[in-house]
Amino acid sequence: MAEYTNQDSEKSLMEEIGITDREIANRRAFLELGEADEKELLSIDPAAQAYADPVIEDFYKHLLAFEETRVFFQDPQVLERVKRAQKRYFARLTQGGYDKDYIEDRLKIGAVHERIGLPMKAYLGMYSFYLRNVAHRLFEAHEDEQGKALRAFLSLLKVVFLDMGLAIDTYINRREQLIGKQQEAMRELPTPVLRVRERLLILPVVGVLESYRAHQLTEQLLESIGATRAKVAIVDITGVPLVDSRVANHLLQTVSAARLMGAAVILTGLSPQIAQALVAIGVDLSQVKTTVDLQSGLEEAERLLGYRLVPASDKPRSDQAHP
Amino acid sequence: MSTPILKQGHYLIASLQPEQSDTDLLQLQDILVEQVGRFRSRGLILDVTLLDVMDSFATRTLRNIAQAVSLRGAETVIVGIRPEIAFAMVQLGLDARLSGVRTALDLEEALAILNRRCQEGMCRD
Amino acid sequence: MTDVIRIAIRCDADIVLVRQQARLLARELGFSGSDLTLIATALSELARNIVEYARQGEIVLSQIRQGRQLGITIVARDHGPGIADIERAMQDGYSTGKGLGLGLPGAKRLMDEFEITSAEGQGTTIKATKWVR
Repeated sequence: MAEYTNQDSEKSLMEEIGITDREIANRRAFLELGEADEKELLSIDPAAQAYADPVIEDFYKHLLAFEETRVFFQDPQVLERVKRAQKRYFARLTQGGYDKDYIEDRLKIGAVHERIGLPMKAYLGMYSFYLRNVAHRLFEAHEDEQGKALRAFLSLLKVVFLDMGLAIDTYINRREQLIGKQQEAMRELPTPVLRVRERLLILPVVGVLESYRAHQLTEQLLESIGATRAKVAIVDITGVPLVDSRVANHLLQTVSAARLMGAAVILTGLSPQIAQALVAIGVDLSQVKTTVDLQSGLEEAERLLGYRLVPASDKPRSDQAHP
Repeated sequence: MSTPILKQGHYLIASLQPEQSDTDLLQLQDILVEQVGRFRSRGLILDVTLLDVMDSFATRTLRNIAQAVSLRGAETVIVGIRPEIAFAMVQLGLDARLSGVRTALDLEEALAILNRRCQEGMCRD
Repeated sequence: MTDVIRIAIRCDADIVLVRQQARLLARELGFSGSDLTLIATALSELARNIVEYARQGEIVLSQIRQGRQLGITIVARDHGPGIADIERAMQDGYSTGKGLGLGLPGAKRLMDEFEITSAEGQGTTIKATKWVR
């Protein structure tokens, strides 16, 4: 089927979700899905093939009755193709052989649903609709053998729940991948090291400082001090929402390491809440130069560097002397 | 392995070598404490740029050197602790052991620190 | 790539040697510059511990793999006097020798995993691992 992606990436989908032979056996055992069920389902297969068409018609009538699900089938050509695929999908439920190939196929379909953005509630809702529809037809077709109809229907439930478990896993897997990518992007969220003037650096830190980023920050700061021969570095944490004892200790270590290299670090932008919290948890920042904001941090840095700010207004500007 | 020691005016400059063993370092300590007196040096610059590791022994020895030469009238500045070494020292908890010793990024800076001390009248001229 | 490097530790010159070897191996494994320094520093402390307390011993460096993770394992072994009170030896600032008392606890902080077994009169074995980040 053309809309499914190539073999390789789906193979890895099995791997990603962790579907091994043993896992398949586990899932089947947990659902108590066994050979008896296969036989049960195979025995109703002729009936199932007979009701396949009307079920599909009802199924799509229901789907198209709701704005939320209708949007996925605007194009009549797409609708026809999807209908055929869906019919095959349902037909497969009563054909036995719920093995690795079956599961791989189910995973692919789950992945397609996830990709087009079909909400999980719609997937589950439609499966529920399908099961109720099938139940009626099954009991109608076996009017004289209600017991058999019930057994077959219970077996069908097991296979359907196997399907749903797989589909939900593909949804979760995609979300986890997304979260992983976002986390990676967060990690790469750079903390720029800005050269303000000769021998003065500013690091504006924004966002949560988890341990990987804190470590990166330290490395970047120390490297930059070495590379630019900075004498003073200002670390501004105005944009850091939370400083716990672990982050505070990390900042302390960074300041200490910078001192060993021969540079002074000024910590600026401690909010009232953070200052209070640090005192409360007993973090001692007395060895660290801290100022209330970036402006006073800059003033302190300039003092350390031996600069003095003088207003330029009453001096003639040399650049205007030359036309 | 011996450590090259340069004399520059009132100051001594020692460049520590990467393959230095503990014995070499202890030897350096003896030599520096002696030479600071002989040359009546007012400052000692320990250049550690070439070191690949500053472990607890090296740190302790450098601190001892600084304390001993200070008793003989010279101030010590350690120069050239590299970023990754500074980080390792802090992880080891060695930073506190060097809290009494001045550090500088480069030789120029170290000389400036020592010169300032001289101007403050700590140094005869 | 050499899998296992075994270095006898008998004098302080061996400390320098073992550091260099570890650096080479760790670089091959893909450790970053700052991690190389952390490993070399930890190793320096462990090797010195041997020279200082047991006179002689050995250090074995090896690569380790756990799933996709690659790492370096250091085993420092000696048949010296052993450590009577491990808990105390692992406290900052405690030393019976000429060190700063930061050697063992410091080395532990530099590595990701650290395991120490010792019996009085029988020697000490320390196993430490660091993973490639």
